[in-house]
Amino acid sequence: MSVFVNKDSIVEVQGMTGKEGSYWTKLMKDMGTNVAFGVTPGKEGQDVGGIPVYHSVRRGLIEHPADVAMLFVPPRFAKDAVFEALDAGIRKICVTADGIPVQEAIQIRKAALSCGAMVVGGNTTGIISIDEALLGMIPYWIKSVYKKGHIGVMTRSGSLTNEVTANIVSSGYGVTTLLGVGGDPVPGTRFAELLPMYQADDDTHALVIIGELGGSMEEEVAEAIEDKVFTKPVVVFMGGRNAPEGKRMGHAGAIASGGKGTVKGKTEALHRAGALVASRASEVGRMLQELLPREF
Amino acid sequence: MNLFEYQAKAAFRECGIVTPKGVLVRSVEELDAACAETGFPCVLKSQVLRGGRGKAGLIKVVKDIDEAKATATALFNSEYNVRMLLVEEAVDIAREIYLSITIDPASATALIMGCAEGGMDIETLARTQPEKIVRVNVDIAEGLGSYHVNNLVYGMGLSGDEAKKIGGMVRSLYKVFRARDAQLAEINPIFITKSGDVVAGDGKLIIDENSVFRQPGYPRTRDYFETDVEFEAAQDGIPYICFGGDIALLCAGSGLTTTVFDLIRDEGGSVSTYVDFGGPNYTRAVRAMELCLKTPCKVILVVTFGTIARADVMANGIVQAMKELNPQVPIVLRIRGTNEDEANKILADAGLTNLVNTEEAVHIAVEKAAGRA
Repeated sequence: MSVFVNKDSIVEVQGMTGKEGSYWTKLMKDMGTNVAFGVTPGKEGQDVGGIPVYHSVRRGLIEHPADVAMLFVPPRFAKDAVFEALDAGIRKICVTADGIPVQEAIQIRKAALSCGAMVVGGNTTGIISIDEALLGMIPYWIKSVYKKGHIGVMTRSGSLTNEVTANIVSSGYGVTTLLGVGGDPVPGTRFAELLPMYQADDDTHALVIIGELGGSMEEEVAEAIEDKVFTKPVVVFMGGRNAPEGKRMGHAGAIASGGKGTVKGKTEALHRAGALVASRASEVGRMLQELLPREF
Repeated sequence: MNLFEYQAKAAFRECGIVTPKGVLVRSVEELDAACAETGFPCVLKSQVLRGGRGKAGLIKVVKDIDEAKATATALFNSEYNVRMLLVEEAVDIAREIYLSITIDPASATALIMGCAEGGMDIETLARTQPEKIVRVNVDIAEGLGSYHVNNLVYGMGLSGDEAKKIGGMVRSLYKVFRARDAQLAEINPIFITKSGDVVAGDGKLIIDENSVFRQPGYPRTRDYFETDVEFEAAQDGIPYICFGGDIALLCAGSGLTTTVFDLIRDEGGSVSTYVDFGGPNYTRAVRAMELCLKTPCKVILVVTFGTIARADVMANGIVQAMKELNPQVPIVLRIRGTNEDEANKILADAGLTNLVNTEEAVHIAVEKAAGRA
């Protein structure tokens, strides 16, 4: 078992014929991901490593079933590509595009919410259910970082993920599903919305969350734990404890956030809920060792 | 992209918002003509991107041309890097109102906030009497409806003509917000004049960085930057921040960088400059280090753990940078990620040590900066 994608998921790839799309789609397939077809308007009839290309998602679906969309399209086409996947009936979508205009990002999230779909990203490195399926750009072949086990990982940061996951593995644990929600101000799916999936996954015994200063996603996780939506052990690591106060977003940012957003405030909320908060990446593994026996 | 007040107000006017009569000046010599336009008394408003200008003494009312020139000279020479002043006619203010539109990520809507008591103390009010801030969420696919406006202005306790005029301003500001791809459009305060007119006293407009490409009116000129190096780095598309401490930090990715920053502070160290050479810049180590070295530092610390930003490529870049730039300070390296074995070999061949552990690397860098190692 795993979260969001597994060995039974059937994936269609939008933007598969581009440089990044073709490179990473081949790697996704090499890892064992079931990739059914790709989509690039105007290129139907071509293929990428034997995977057929169609003009549109609906045209591809006539020939092949698919339940997950992987988008390698550039940021300015991301909204259109997400809407196309939703229109064709796909309800799980992963978006790597870095640079989606924020007013389009809120339309993407709103559209997904209104039809019960999940859009992960933009600006995510991707999602990996180790040895089962890969969406996006994750170097699964680095065994010191990506090893199968029983720890779920959710992250806001691309650059910090390798750092923390390497520590999890070197401490004797492996990972079920690592899921990047992306680093944009308006992620399509928020941490707390993914908790029910990790709760339902029997293979996930504990969850590591890599957070960051800003926003309120970590506070929402604390609420979900208090509400017993998630009852497994949680270890959180956040960057930005000592961040100098950056450029302020007028008064509106401070008023709207109502005091949320600082690492200090997030840490307090998570402690109150009973989660463990690591002050260093190297403490994540040690904290897991207090909670669970080593896997290897 | 954070715009100056004069730019925000120009965008507001295009959408029908009234602002005080104003002239932008870049030198004391331009004041005679500007003040002839506005008359006296007038207000000299420093065009800087920081908040809290009023409290910092960067906004001054002057009553004649001599005072205007003396005050302008003092502002141009202040520590706040003031390069432009907006000279505005003074307005007879009866009261002040707060209005903003921003993004609410959780509900994926535009969030309009209004308060009948605007002005400098709005944040204090938001803490002590949060019920006075009225919030209305707008689904931008649906657009701004009359009911949104009514819920806002009547919720703020406004009535009659005043409610109608502020309602008009809400509609105009929403147009600005959408047309300019704003992350924030804020007017604090809106002046209600003694004759009952509504005028935007201030203006704040932040264009979403990801939308700047389709907002052609705002080339990134030197005006937006405190220093020449910041401007240079921005032109090259390399994220750069100067802090003025001891350790020059070459890092990749914001999450890892904030973490390394935390560790340096925990160890009692300080950062001189930070340059991000991850993402599209991972092949540009030489340029990144060159930018770093424009500010004095005692140690260079490199920390990366890249996927697409391959470790071997970054290691090669660092070796080349050391050769070309020959920095006179020690360097501490922790380069990991895709092809890290190859990276280790490249660095070893060049006589450089590559560490495995971030915390160890930070500790050594801080010790070296303090002269203890």
